[in-house]
Amino acid sequence: MSDRDHSSAVDQDLVRGAQKGDMGAFEELVARHRDKIYARALSMMRNEEEAIDLSQEAWVKGWQRLAQFQGEASFGTWMTRIVINLCLDQLRKHKRQRTESIEAMDQDSGGVERQMPVITVNPTAGLERTELRQRIDQALAKLSYEQRTVLVLHEFEEMEYKEIAKSMDCSIGTVMSRLFYARRKMAAILADLRKGEEQ
Amino acid sequence: MDFETELKLQAYLDGELPETEAREIAKFLAQDQEAALLLGELKNTRQALKGSEIVVQLPESREFYWSKIEREIERLEKPQRVEQKRPFIFRLQRILVPVTGALAVAVFLGITLFGNSGTALGETELATEDMGAITFRSESEGMTTVWLYDRGDSELSDEPAPDSVEPR
Repeated sequence: MSDRDHSSAVDQDLVRGAQKGDMGAFEELVARHRDKIYARALSMMRNEEEAIDLSQEAWVKGWQRLAQFQGEASFGTWMTRIVINLCLDQLRKHKRQRTESIEAMDQDSGGVERQMPVITVNPTAGLERTELRQRIDQALAKLSYEQRTVLVLHEFEEMEYKEIAKSMDCSIGTVMSRLFYARRKMAAILADLRKGEEQ
Repeated sequence: MDFETELKLQAYLDGELPETEAREIAKFLAQDQEAALLLGELKNTRQALKGSEIVVQLPESREFYWSKIEREIERLEKPQRVEQKRPFIFRLQRILVPVTGALAVAVFLGITLFGNSGTALGETELATEDMGAITFRSESEGMTTVWLYDRGDSELSDEPAPDSVEPR
């Protein structure tokens, strides 16, 4: 397949070509999905350099595991799962390093989030799309990595509790509580950002 | 409201509750103002997040980004290529080593048997003048023994060693 053929081919054909060892086909797949894969890594890691490295590692893993891709999900979704797993491994490593230095700090206690008053006014009402996206991004950055990850997987990747529990290697109950605390904290942060803007 | 109920409210919102439990929660919500407010907050946050992921672009050019991936793929695939060749070499080695050994034994036996068949032991040649040989042949046992020794450093030698002292 020539370069021109690659650029006009659909993902399924490119995947078939790559499975037969066509690097040109794989390069085209990388070019098509690289922003999405990088964005997912960045949303989880909150670090540009790490996100680039992990997204590239995901592509290398993707190439190595191409034979396993059966086409049940789209290629983009399959690749996203690979980068999510790599990010989760990396975040676990970070957490181990942190707890080794500051002793075991349980960020999942959630006591504070449960005591917070309910935000009755929608803090994002009337915001334009771009502004809303920036606000959400700012708020996500203030969450613990467990809370942020569970939100990203549930809201952006639309994964069910069961799938998230499997990816994060924890119980469904833990997923439910992390998601609950994350949503409550998000609501409070978004309300604060709104208040700050009004003052 | 206890924590279990709060989590059930959330599961109700996410469509993760079984039908019977979802009906119970719907009834509970109609009666409990606090629960309804909490559900409203959870719903607002969920709606705000839906489709609101910030759009980012990779800060590297297509060529540069791909070149790093390509290099890594090639690096990882090289050892595999060597490994794919290795088994053939190993197989060849496995065959060659015993065959060479067997050939060496066969050559040695051939020389020995050839020596036995002839009576002229003098035909046996030694590669070096420093080496000596004594051959013993037992016809009754059908056996020949050959001793090889260093002329200069052996009690079997009939010539004095260069560093030996003549008895007076």
